[in-house]
Amino acid sequence: MKRFTRIFTVVVFLFLYLPMIVLAVASFNKGSDIGAFTGFTFRQYGELFRDSTLLPLLGNSIIIAVVAALISTILGTMAAVGIHNMRRRPQAMAMALTNIPMTNPDIVTGVSLALLFAFAGVMLRRNSIMGFGTLLIAHITFDMPYVILSVMPKLTQMDPDLEEAALDLGCTPVKAFFRVVIHEIMPGIISGALMAFTMSLDDFVISYFVYGPNFVTLPVEIYNYTKKPLQPKIYALFTLLFLVILLLMVLMNLLQLRDARQRQIRKGGAS
Amino acid sequence: MAKELIRLQNVSMQFDGETVLDNISLTINDHEFLTLLGPSGCGKTTTLRIIGGFQTPTSGDVFFDGARINDVPPYRRKINTVFQKYALFPHLDVYDNIAFGLRVSKLPEPEVDRRVMEMLEIVSLRGFQNRKVTSLSGGQQQRVAIARALVNQPKVLLLDEPLGALDMRLRKDMQNELKRIQQALEITFIYVTHDQEEALAMSDTVVVMDKGCIQQIGSPVSIYNEPENAFVADFIGESNILDGIMRKDYEVEFFGHRYQCLDKGFAKNEPVDVVIRPEDIDIVPPGGGYLSATVTNVIFKGTFYDTFVDVGDFKWLIQTTDFHEIGDVIGISLDPDAIHVMKKSQYSEQFGDYSSYSAEYDEMEEDPEGEADEE
Ligand SMILES: Nc1ncnc2c1ncn2[C@@H]1O[C@H](COP(=O)(O)OP(=O)(O)OP(=O)(O)O)[C@@H](O)[C@H]1O
Ligand SMILES: [Mg+2]
Repeated sequence: MKRFTRIFTVVVFLFLYLPMIVLAVASFNKGSDIGAFTGFTFRQYGELFRDSTLLPLLGNSIIIAVVAALISTILGTMAAVGIHNMRRRPQAMAMALTNIPMTNPDIVTGVSLALLFAFAGVMLRRNSIMGFGTLLIAHITFDMPYVILSVMPKLTQMDPDLEEAALDLGCTPVKAFFRVVIHEIMPGIISGALMAFTMSLDDFVISYFVYGPNFVTLPVEIYNYTKKPLQPKIYALFTLLFLVILLLMVLMNLLQLRDARQRQIRKGGAS
Repeated sequence: MAKELIRLQNVSMQFDGETVLDNISLTINDHEFLTLLGPSGCGKTTTLRIIGGFQTPTSGDVFFDGARINDVPPYRRKINTVFQKYALFPHLDVYDNIAFGLRVSKLPEPEVDRRVMEMLEIVSLRGFQNRKVTSLSGGQQQRVAIARALVNQPKVLLLDEPLGALDMRLRKDMQNELKRIQQALEITFIYVTHDQEEALAMSDTVVVMDKGCIQQIGSPVSIYNEPENAFVADFIGESNILDGIMRKDYEVEFFGHRYQCLDKGFAKNEPVDVVIRPEDIDIVPPGGGYLSATVTNVIFKGTFYDTFVDVGDFKWLIQTTDFHEIGDVIGISLDPDAIHVMKKSQYSEQFGDYSSYSAEYDEMEEDPEGEADEE
C-alpha cells in the first residue's frame, strides 16, 4: 500500500513537471530536432540575449507585471481593509463579488474588457484606445482579487485590540494603519503582490483581447510566433520564465512558513 | 473636595436590539480608584469602551471635565487603556512599544528617551528595553502594557481585567504594584474585574453591576457591610440570606425570633431580606432561647472552619475558629451589628441558604481552568 502511494506520487509529479523538463532539455539541445538530443549547449541562451525583438518584449511583460502588481496591491489592500471594516452581511456580499471574477473564464473577462474598451473608445471619439493603458487596467482588474484574497485572512487573524491600542495612543485611523496594521498584514500583502506579479507576467488570454500594436507583451507575441515554426531560443526563454516563477513561488512559501512560525512563537509567549 | 472628572448620564447600549447597558449613571472623581465589578457578560467591558471612546452609546451622554465627549474619537481623549490581552505591538521591541504614544504626539527624541527610561524604572523592567515583546512572560508583557499607557501621562487609565491571565502570586504582587503606581502618579484608575477580593482590596469605590444595571456604588467597606440587595450580598463575600419581617425600627423577626438590629426606615411588618455574614455568627451552647442548629458538614480552611448547620430546613454557613463535630447541636447568637436588613428585590428568591453551596464551589474551582483553556 505504502509502495503504491509512493509510486502514485511520483507519477503525479512526473505528469505535472514532464512538459517543463522536456522544454528545459530542448533548450539545451544542440540540434533543433525535438526528437533527438544531439549534445549540450548554451547557444540558445546566447542567441536569446542577442535577440533584439524578444528581449524588449520581455521588458514590456515585466514592466506591465510590476506596475500592475504595484497598483493592484495598493488598491487591493485598501479594498480588503474596507471590506474588513464592513458589517457582516455586506462583508459576505463583497467577498462573493470579489471571488466571481476569479472563477470567470479568462476568455469571458478578456472579451468583456475588450468590449468595454471599444465602447469607451467610441465614447471618446477615438479610433482605438487599445495600448499600454488598457492592458494595465485589464491586468489590475484580474490581479486585484488575488491581493484581496491574500490580505483578507491576515486582517481577520489580527488581534482587533492592536488597532484600538494604536488609536488609544493617539493615532488617527490612517496613522494606526501605517504604524501598526500594515506590519501585521505585511505577509499577506507581499504574497498578494507576488501572486499578482506572476499572474500578470504569464497572462495571455486576457491580454490578447486588450493589447494594442504599440505595446505587446511576451506571451501575446509568442502566440503570434507559434503560427510560424518555433525557434529553439524560445525554449530557452520559457525555461528562464519558468525558473523565475518557480523562484517567486518558493520565496512566497518561505515567507508564509516564516510567518506561521512567528505566529506560533507569539502564541507560545502569550500564554 | 474631590472633583468630578467623568460622568456617565443615563447611558444605554444596545447591540442588534439586545440591551447590554440599561440606563447607567455614574460619576468618577479625579484621582479615584474606581472598580467595575460584576459577573461575566454584565457589561463591564462595554462601559469601559464607552469611556475610552471605542463605542458610542445608543443613548445617554458621557462627560469629561464637564464637556460632552460622546463624539470625540479615542485618539483625542486624555484617556489611555490597558487591554485585557495586552495588545502589545509585536513588530516593536519593549522600548518602542512604550515610546509609541510619545512618538505619535511628536515629542522630541531626548524627551521620549527620558520618559521611557523613567517608565521602565517604575514598572521594574530596566534592562528589558531591547527585548522583543513576544519573548516576555505574561507578567512582563502586562507591565509593558501598563508602561505604554502610563508614559503618556493620561488623566485616566482604563484597565480591563489586567491581571486576569496571571497566576495567583503574580496577581497579588501586581495588585500592590498597581495601587502604588496609582497613588504615586495620582492618576484616576477605572478598573474592571470579576474578582471581588481584588476589587475590595484595591478600590476607593466599587461599582457592582449585573445584567447591564448598576446594583450598588460605594466604598469597599460599605458594599461589604451594607449590601443593597441579595445580589450584592451574595456576590461580595459569603452571605446567609434569609426571609424576615421588619416588625418596627431596629427590630426584625426571622425563624420566629425577634432580633435587635441597626436598620430602620422600613414599613411596619414589611417583608425583608436579612443578610448575616458567616464570620459574624457567634456559636454558644444550645438552649437558653438561642436559635438551635445541627452541624451537617465541616471544612477546614486553614485559619478557620467552614461549618454548615441546619436551622430547621435552612442551611447556614458559619465561619469559626472552633471545631465542631458533625451532628453536634449548637446555639446561634446574633449581635445587632451582625444583622443587615435589605429591601426585597428581583434577586430575593434567587439567593438564599447554602443547600446549593457545593455546586457553587465546583464552579469556582473550574473557572480558572476554563480561562486557561481559552488561550
Ligand atoms: N460588539 C458587540 N456586538 C454584539 N454584542 C456585544 C458586543 N460587545 C459586547 N456584546 C455583548 O454585550 C454583553 C456584555 O459584554 P461585555 O463585554 O461588556 O461584558 P463583560 O462584563 O466585560 O464580561 P466579561 O467579564 O466576560 O469580560 C455580552 O452579552 C456580549 O455578548
Ligand atoms: Mg470584559
